[in-house]
Amino acid sequence: MNIENTQSQMRKGILEFCILSIIRRGESYPSDIVEEMKAANLNIFEGTLYPLLTRLKNADMLTYRWVESNSGPPRKYFSLTEKGQTFYNELEATWKELANAVNALAKKTDSMPDTTNQNPSF
Amino acid sequence: MKKIININFQGRVIPIEESAYDTLKQYVDSLRRYFATEDGRDEIINDIESRIAELFSERLKRGSACITDDDINAVITSMGRPQDFEEQAGAAEAASAYQAGSQQQAPPPNYANVGRGRLYRNADDKIIGGVCSGLANYMGIDPVILRVIFVILFGALFWIYILLWIIVPSQSLQTNITKRLYRNADDRVIAGVCGGLSSYFNIDSWIPRLVFALPLIIGLISGTMNAIWWNWDFGFAPRVITGSLGSTLFITYIILWIAVPFASTASEKLEMRGERVDLNSIRDTVKEDLENFKTRTEKWGQEVKQTAQDFGNRASSFGQTAGTHAKQFASEAAPLARRAGSGLGHVIGLLFKVFFMFVAGIIAITLLGVLIALLFGGMAAFPLKNFILEGPGQNLLAWATLLLFLGVPLVGLITWLVRRIMGVRSKNHYLGYTFGGLWVVGIFCFVFLIGSFARNFKVRMPLEDKIAVNTPANDKLYVDVTPAHLEYYHGDWFGFRFSDEMPVYGVNMDTLMLNTVRIKLAKSKDSSYHVTRVRLSQGNTRDIAVRNAERIQFAIEQRDSVLYLPEGFPVSASDKFRGQQVLIIIQVPVGKRIELSDALTHYDWFSINVNNRRGWNVNFDDYSDESYNWDANTEYIMTPEGNRKVSELDPEELKNGRFKIIIDEKNEKIKSENDFENKGDKNHYRYKQLEDSIKEKAKEQLREELKIQDSIKREKRLKEIIKTSSASDNAPASSNGGDDEPGTAGSEGHIMSPLMMLSGMIK
Repeated sequence: MNIENTQSQMRKGILEFCILSIIRRGESYPSDIVEEMKAANLNIFEGTLYPLLTRLKNADMLTYRWVESNSGPPRKYFSLTEKGQTFYNELEATWKELANAVNALAKKTDSMPDTTNQNPSF
Repeated sequence: MKKIININFQGRVIPIEESAYDTLKQYVDSLRRYFATEDGRDEIINDIESRIAELFSERLKRGSACITDDDINAVITSMGRPQDFEEQAGAAEAASAYQAGSQQQAPPPNYANVGRGRLYRNADDKIIGGVCSGLANYMGIDPVILRVIFVILFGALFWIYILLWIIVPSQSLQTNITKRLYRNADDRVIAGVCGGLSSYFNIDSWIPRLVFALPLIIGLISGTMNAIWWNWDFGFAPRVITGSLGSTLFITYIILWIAVPFASTASEKLEMRGERVDLNSIRDTVKEDLENFKTRTEKWGQEVKQTAQDFGNRASSFGQTAGTHAKQFASEAAPLARRAGSGLGHVIGLLFKVFFMFVAGIIAITLLGVLIALLFGGMAAFPLKNFILEGPGQNLLAWATLLLFLGVPLVGLITWLVRRIMGVRSKNHYLGYTFGGLWVVGIFCFVFLIGSFARNFKVRMPLEDKIAVNTPANDKLYVDVTPAHLEYYHGDWFGFRFSDEMPVYGVNMDTLMLNTVRIKLAKSKDSSYHVTRVRLSQGNTRDIAVRNAERIQFAIEQRDSVLYLPEGFPVSASDKFRGQQVLIIIQVPVGKRIELSDALTHYDWFSINVNNRRGWNVNFDDYSDESYNWDANTEYIMTPEGNRKVSELDPEELKNGRFKIIIDEKNEKIKSENDFENKGDKNHYRYKQLEDSIKEKAKEQLREELKIQDSIKREKRLKEIIKTSSASDNAPASSNGGDDEPGTAGSEGHIMSPLMMLSGMIK
């Protein structure tokens, strides 16, 4: 069990939630999403992002629009569908629950109940 | 010094260093392999490529003359390599295993040594148990070849597979396969199967072609020869080559055609020839393949999980409609399963899924078995179709049923298996919809066929006629089968042998021989034998049923004391099989005997349910009636109580015209309650005997009369002789005598004749 593995697993679980919360605010271009996540100190490869977006799009969570660009091929701008919005809302609720629970557990400072006293053999 | 080339990348011309291009190509290839089993693979690759193109354009705009190695590496770093994706998005276990392998640059400890060490099942590349893949690895050949062999010889190799599955341990095997079987697009006649085989085995392509085509060519040549000189038998090759081997090769070709992909990319073409020397693939020969296996198995696992979830979802929605109880349960279980929360709910959900899949699997396998059985049954009954089906409509329906209702699931199953073997996942479900739709059409055809078929059997009508039978001289009628004039084809038929239980005992192209005949022995009401022939047939209407019955040819013939019945009766293809049956009722007078030949036992028994409302008031379905259950080659005698075996009756009593059953072996006559003589009135028998003696007297009288008539005839003949030998003036006298003859009393004629004789002599 190494630390990177655990860390990457923790990140992996919330990746979709993060991406959706960026797209929720308006039409977004994948590299902008990457930039924004970088700014929030969450590193993600574009190569990871594209398959995720395609999967979400195929699941009707996202839709996209072609926008002409002057610096290369036309760009795909992604936005949330109604289904994506409800999906996001559910994820958000779960996240809040989780965050509260984790924070509550992590912040707890008082010591564990002493088990040695309850042991009748001593 | 580096060479710069221009490439067309996402619709743009991009100048790029050759080594950078190689890196780029390798990178895109690795992505392609990484996403090989992903649904939106092309879209993902396209998105990434267009993003790379955008990054390139930016770089060029900033004044770079071309894309360099550094640029490429920067782009790849920002996009991420497949191993980085694994870390972020893939399954953690697989990723860590992969990382371990790639970072240490040495085979990790859990991989078995490459090549011929031990036989393992391959845990990484498997469809069922990894047996084929492990065997292929052991032998150093493409697993596809072994899989195809196992599928074709499914029947023979099934148990071997199961045995290997159980015995051979499973291991993650590093592939040592450098050569794969592809179809060769560049060297093909039909589908490139032979071309691919030849490059796989390093032989000239005409060799597999000849092997595949030889049975066909031989068949064609000998067929043509036979057609032209039909009376010679051109056996160029043993039938096994033109027959079973040829069809096996044909099926093999078709399966390879479907199962083996075209070698479309350059690397696949190299793989096809077993060359792995190109710059792009040499580096990741081992690594990428490994990765490919990993992702494939991982995707497979996800797929299974996904299916399980789908099933669960479907089950929960099904449950909602099923009723309030199920609704409660589903609404309880669904959120629990979704959250994957506390243990119990999860376990219940999982158990439900597993149970559901188990039941669904069993149902599917059973259905499949039934379908295959029906298909083979249908094929076996195929030559009978001319006798059953009527008109083009039914024929069309029958064909549609055979092809759609029975054939489509089989083809669908084979397609599914083959696609599984090849690891092909299609984006759309058109194939499934098409198969499903065709099958539904097949179901309708089947139902309509059964419906219209059943209509032809709606009414059963009997056609009764009496056959004149003379009383045999020795008071015993022997019933036998007419020696057949026609030899009907009898025996093997598509490897399918008619059993004795089948009503059909012979078939050729246009004639079906039926032997649905029953013989009933009954008591005659008078002192002579009577034979009644009842021909029965079914039909759509009463008229048609009667017409069908009329067409039954069942000629009964009597020669002396033997009554000959035909072996069966033919039904021609135009007559159609409509449940034709013949019932022969032989009425035997009391005291007379009958014996039935052993040859009659080949008749098929049948029961007749005659609708009494329609006026046919005999219940032929009564099996308890002993008159149907006669033994062959046994002499029966008709008693007032029905027919009895002669051997059962006391011979002494029989001479006196009484019927007494021998019950004990020691010829002791026991008058028990069951003895029929006790049951009946003795006077009745005496009366019977009396009646018999009266009849005997009457017969003697009859014989006397016959004698008299004979003498009259003799006289007449004499007169004629006299007439021809004497002069013509006697003619009127003789003619008078002839005219008078019917009118004259017997006694007068008798007296007259000597006088006439005398007069003739004198003249």
